[in-house]
Amino acid sequence: MLLNIIKRSFANQKKAMLLMIASVAVGTAMAASLITISLEISGKVSKELRSFGANILIEPRLEGLADISGQKRYLRQEDIVKSKTIFWRHNILGISPFLDTESEISVSGVKETVRLVGAWYEKGLPLPGEAKEFPAGIKTVSPWWYIEGQWPDQADKVVAGTSLAARLGIKKGDSLMIDGKGFVVSGILETGGNEDNELYMDLGHLQEFKNLSGRVSRVYVSALTTPMDKFAYKDPKTMSRPEYEKWYCTGYVTSIAKQLEEVFYGSRTKPIWQVAETEGKVLERLRLLIYFLCGIALAASALGVSTTMIMSLLRRIDEIGLMKATGADSSKIITIFVSEGFVIGTIGGLLGYALAIAAAQYIGMKVFNSAVEHKALLLPVAIGSALVISIAGTILPIRRALRIKPAVVLKGAG
Amino acid sequence: MSFVIVRDVIKEYETAHALRGVSLEVEKRQWLNMVGPSGSGKSTLLNIIGGLDSPSSGSVTIDSTGIDRLSEDDMARFRREKIGFIFQQSHLIPYLNAVENVMLAQYFHSMSDEKEAMEALARVGLSHRIYHRPSQLSGGEQQRVCIARALINSPSLLLADEPTGNLDRENTRVMLELLRKLHSEEHFTIILVTHDPFVSKWGQRIITMEDGRIIQDEPVHV
Ligand SMILES: Nc1ncnc2c1ncn2[C@@H]1O[C@H](COP(=O)(O)OP(=O)(O)O)[C@@H](O)[C@H]1O
Ligand SMILES: [Mg+2]
Repeated sequence: MLLNIIKRSFANQKKAMLLMIASVAVGTAMAASLITISLEISGKVSKELRSFGANILIEPRLEGLADISGQKRYLRQEDIVKSKTIFWRHNILGISPFLDTESEISVSGVKETVRLVGAWYEKGLPLPGEAKEFPAGIKTVSPWWYIEGQWPDQADKVVAGTSLAARLGIKKGDSLMIDGKGFVVSGILETGGNEDNELYMDLGHLQEFKNLSGRVSRVYVSALTTPMDKFAYKDPKTMSRPEYEKWYCTGYVTSIAKQLEEVFYGSRTKPIWQVAETEGKVLERLRLLIYFLCGIALAASALGVSTTMIMSLLRRIDEIGLMKATGADSSKIITIFVSEGFVIGTIGGLLGYALAIAAAQYIGMKVFNSAVEHKALLLPVAIGSALVISIAGTILPIRRALRIKPAVVLKGAG
Repeated sequence: MSFVIVRDVIKEYETAHALRGVSLEVEKRQWLNMVGPSGSGKSTLLNIIGGLDSPSSGSVTIDSTGIDRLSEDDMARFRREKIGFIFQQSHLIPYLNAVENVMLAQYFHSMSDEKEAMEALARVGLSHRIYHRPSQLSGGEQQRVCIARALINSPSLLLADEPTGNLDRENTRVMLELLRKLHSEEHFTIILVTHDPFVSKWGQRIITMEDGRIIQDEPVHV
């Protein structure tokens, strides 16, 4: 009987029904695609955020390799490709080695001791047994470095930091002496950091020049990480075995750093906290924003259902009064409206689900340039949203219906 | 003890005194007609007896239950057990067909039973109109659906507010004969409001109302 009432009453108010179903569908689609996107965001936005710079620094440990003079310590260049063997290797998005040296330069009679750093700008490292090269170099960790001119590709080329160049009056194309050898300035480097006071040249050539073959001073790594949570801040030394395993196998910046330390001989790694924490905060806020938008979408569509249902209720006052006179108590009236809401919710929810698949796909493509991965979650989220909308949307109409007085409705004209 | 006892009922609306102190007792199985000019308070009294409206003061007892003290939901449950209504405008759900309208009353009472609902329509002579919508039925047929609906849960009190108000003489007669037959078979109590002298002769007792009071109470002289 209930089914009959609902079926017939729907057929009787097609416009209102379609309006309510559309309300639910749009709200559901909004909420479901937003939630899916928010799940994608951790992955995709952190990838985008990685362009803000390296988040792990690898340095030589004190008891690391000694150089010939016995004072400085270095890392081995050959260990760089090993970062592609760790558990979280796929999360290593960029890696850039640096070799720091001190040199004396002289330009038009002025002599000065400056830092001469060797690095790669953009270099593909061959990986054993893999066709694809591992992209390394400054561009993979600090893409914002600006070079006016060219990165030095020959043994006698350097780039000069912009502050240094200004101080010494060096321009692109000028010549200068470094440790008594003649070099040509192939470009001016501007980073906004210490690099602006330094000289840069190709890592391999500097190693040769300084007789430090195979040595690097520090390595910056840009890794995709899981935002640090409470568990992540626990000291791994105090963890139980299973805890340690969980920690090790979660992509926290600390556990990835630990794994890198294991493959770089004589190394010590540390997260660059400022970067890691900023990322966490940005993600947190983005997610908050999305939940907020989600809430608004749900509320707006519940409001749509609610107003439409009240409008149609106003036309059904006689009917409800009559039902009450015929013996319907509140529970029966509630049952009728809740069932109507349920049917609207189900149809609207399914439509919204279809819309959400399209929307999530579209947003994923537009915003992140890739398809969404969490499609499986869409259905439960869509159903949940639709239910929330239709339940919230029917509360007011039901309260209104319960207040209808049959006597007023049914009093005969005579 | 009388089946229906109305005691000192006053009903005041903001703009009108609908009932100015009405007392009335109706015996079980009695057929009582209520007449009087328009605005004299007939519908108000009938609605108060049926629990659709509540008195400003005074009490109403039906079958030993003080209905003025029931909550709205308890009243709805009391109503579906004991009372059937017929109104002037036929008041059927427009999008349900005849048998579904009857079944709705069953549904609110307990469980709908299509066979029983069809039998009820057969008893009011509508076997051939079972699947017609209200808009496809004549005024007389609609009122007969209302009778079937009012009686489907075997009420002990039938309240009818100008049930023949929109019918011609022939349809009025058909309807009253039907009611008389059902009344003699099922022994429910009838309170029927009318201002048609032809109709008021069909019962056993007539009360006349004027300006919110009962001014005359007499048996029907056949
Ligand atoms: N809901 C209401 N609000 C205000 N006044 C009402 C209402 N219902 C009835 N009345 C007034 O109460 C009086 C009695 O009305 P009613 O019982 O409908 O009379 P009858 O059915 O005898 O014509 C009339 O004056 C009418 O205007
Ligand atoms: Mg009236």
